Amino acid sequence: MQEFKLPDLGEGMQEAQIVEWLVGPGDTLKLDQPIVRVETDKAIVEIPSPVAGRVSEIRVPQGQVARLGEVLVIFDTGSGAAERPTAKTTTTSTAATNGATAAPASSVQAATQTGQRVLAAPAVRKLAFELGIDLAQVPPSQPGGRVTIDDVRAYAERAKAALAATPAAEQQKVESGVGAKVEAARREGQPPTTGQERREPLTGLRKRIAERMERSWRTIPHATAFDEVDGTALAALRQSLKPIAEQRGVRLTYMPLLITLLIPVLKEFPIFNASLDEERREVVYKQAYHIGVAADSPEGLLVPVLRDADRLTLIEIAARLEHLIEGARKRTLSLPELSGSTFTLNNVGSFGGSSGTPIINYPEAAILAVGRLQEKAIVRDGTILARPMMPLALSFDHRLIDGALAGRFLARFKDLVENPQQLMLDMIVSIPNGR
Amino acid sequence: MVVGDVTTAVDVLVLGAGPGGYVAAIRAAQLGHHVTLVEADMPGGTCLNRGCIPLKALLSSSERYRQARQEEPGVMGIHVEALTLNWAAMQDWKQGVVNRLAEGVRKLISGNAIEYVHGKGWFINAQEVRVEGEYGSHHFKFDHCIIATGAEAAPVPGLPYDGKQVLTPEQALALPALPAALSIYGDDYIALELATVFARLDVEVKLYSPGEQLLAGFDPAALRLVQAGLRKLGIAIATKTPVEKITTITEHPVIISNGVCPRTADLHVSDADIELTANNGIAVNSMQQSSVPNIYAVGDCIGGQALASVAIKQGKVAAEVLSGQRVQFAPLVIPRVVHTTPELATVGYTTQEAAQAGYNVVTGRFPLAASGRALTLAAENGAALIVADADNGLLLGATLVGPRAGDLIGQLTLAIEMGATLTDLSEILYPHPSLSEIVLEGSENAQGRAIHILTKP
Repeated sequence: MQEFKLPDLGEGMQEAQIVEWLVGPGDTLKLDQPIVRVETDKAIVEIPSPVAGRVSEIRVPQGQVARLGEVLVIFDTGSGAAERPTAKTTTTSTAATNGATAAPASSVQAATQTGQRVLAAPAVRKLAFELGIDLAQVPPSQPGGRVTIDDVRAYAERAKAALAATPAAEQQKVESGVGAKVEAARREGQPPTTGQERREPLTGLRKRIAERMERSWRTIPHATAFDEVDGTALAALRQSLKPIAEQRGVRLTYMPLLITLLIPVLKEFPIFNASLDEERREVVYKQAYHIGVAADSPEGLLVPVLRDADRLTLIEIAARLEHLIEGARKRTLSLPELSGSTFTLNNVGSFGGSSGTPIINYPEAAILAVGRLQEKAIVRDGTILARPMMPLALSFDHRLIDGALAGRFLARFKDLVENPQQLMLDMIVSIPNGR
Repeated sequence: MVVGDVTTAVDVLVLGAGPGGYVAAIRAAQLGHHVTLVEADMPGGTCLNRGCIPLKALLSSSERYRQARQEEPGVMGIHVEALTLNWAAMQDWKQGVVNRLAEGVRKLISGNAIEYVHGKGWFINAQEVRVEGEYGSHHFKFDHCIIATGAEAAPVPGLPYDGKQVLTPEQALALPALPAALSIYGDDYIALELATVFARLDVEVKLYSPGEQLLAGFDPAALRLVQAGLRKLGIAIATKTPVEKITTITEHPVIISNGVCPRTADLHVSDADIELTANNGIAVNSMQQSSVPNIYAVGDCIGGQALASVAIKQGKVAAEVLSGQRVQFAPLVIPRVVHTTPELATVGYTTQEAAQAGYNVVTGRFPLAASGRALTLAAENGAALIVADADNGLLLGATLVGPRAGDLIGQLTLAIEMGATLTDLSEILYPHPSLSEIVLEGSENAQGRAIHILTKP
């Protein structure tokens, strides 16, 4: 018999939802045969079998959330069956509540944990469970790491205050998720409902989006600068390049063009490709230009990352972008394709919107939203002209960036979009091998 | 109640009125639910009617009988001229205690407006239970269900319990006449307590244990004191006896305490898609929820440690969870008591377990012979053993041997749950003279500063 625990599938992963079991009890398994599809906050991943043998028991049913290190399935490997260590299966101590259980407290908690227990009186532990708080996360106020009722309440208050910052419409949904520490809520029955509302726990991607937005909005003092750019030259450029791109099998949208035009601006204004190390109070300037691109998926917003955008040609950017957007839609992207961006470009226009106020993709310093190109009446030299205009909205971390600088950043970007031929001045012509 | 096969919609349906079930029913009623409680036997369950309570009653009466026969009264200046034992009267008194408590439970059930249904229930599906009883068959469609059907003596292959030659502990407690000799098979607290009762009543008792050691998980030093006590009662102990051989070894009636198994076979749990554990207990999480939403299980039927204390707490948890509260069954430690002479009680880690768990262990010990109160009770056989974390003095466990050890252990349970240290235990006042002072002296001994024994150099 061998237990298989939910392995660490990538940075910061704490839990995953079982989307589908691909095997059932009694099934015979080959090594590396996919056994289960799980959804982390970032992607749907197929986990291959670490052993050859038979499925003895499935511990976490489909649809439920498993914590990192929780036993998912038990294999009957017989003797001498192929076996290999799973990828970094760190066992997390599930809860502090039974840290020092001496006699096996009950069949439910047979696993005696040897980790040092969090010192807290029974009433404190009861309150923590009620509020869905992991005691190990609560900073103790007492010497010797003792956690008091007040510590738990204060911790809960802080979590609540963070929620208050989210828009009211979202808040109700988020609240039901706050207490829902998955560990004990796994098989919790439906929360009580009245006829007036329907409650659903936040899970998977939605839960992570909520956490991300909450964190960004709570920590970063947002300010947003607006502008509008004349898209005539941009539209003309796209029209002229589109057929050639198509010959190479790539569909050229505005996005790759805008990214190409954005890179020199980011290089001129490095603070926009930076982040604030809050702990050490240091500004971290990024040498790489990984551009996050907001994309829609059936489950919600995803931000796939175009890595090293400054080293890619326009056609390469277009090709990769196509892959990323498609992958986001199908939820097939790998974790590196979904993390590590240094600046985010949000094409509100692709979702049909004309403009919007973007929320910074934490911990980045700024995010640029571009709206739909629409013909508008503008005045130039005393004459009213019809021009395809594109709205811009730049949200920035006001701790690092002032309004004036944001204005200059937008002005420079606008200048480049309206006069894209400027790019020629700094261009190194790189022709990919074989062309 | 209506005769015939009618379906009644009920709010909370509790199956089983033992300590888990009736407590769950009362707590659910306190929280505003309409509760229907189904029991095939008597309210109070195994514990009250056939287990703990009758056993403790007989332990108490047999102890008095035994004490009157010993030398101590003589030393104290009490001369017992003649002493007789009336087993039937002892049984009557025991039954009187049981009846009084059972009547109390009945009053609590009716006082909480709980509907009591006498009958046996099983699942038809995940929303309905059929109950068959004195009023015929009845369907209940429930909003919430709590399963608390308890456990029964684990069968031994080839050795059916006939109540005469092969007995369960429950049957032994209600024997119509005292046999001259008895064999007892088992190594748990029930086997030891039964051996104690019958040996005190002049029955020739031989105890057969499956392994080498009695009472797994207890401190070895404490066990030595208990074993000496058993021998003093004239109990012969044979170790490493395979259970299937027991009737070939002895011609006396055998009481077998071979553990219990969850009473789930007749519940038709598969018709409700309720998952079972490997030992046929109902699988639950720490909120007592089964694999089916709105069906909960508490106590022995989930197959954990068969202890009423556990069932009682789990019953409350289930009732609170179904009322929308977010609570769980998560005690840090579970106190365990064995009513032998001397009495034995333990909570938390033994020295060995604490070391295995990775603690840097310090222990304290205080013998009853150094306790003023123990000597005035003529009970100097016993000790307090205190186990703590050497790094910060955190109390990790305690074992008490001596009179009222099972009552004194409550203080140490609270201390562990509260995260008390040896300093905490040493700072408070204890009544003097009292048995509770052994906790003080044991804690001080762990710090090398007990007053009433000489500290080892």
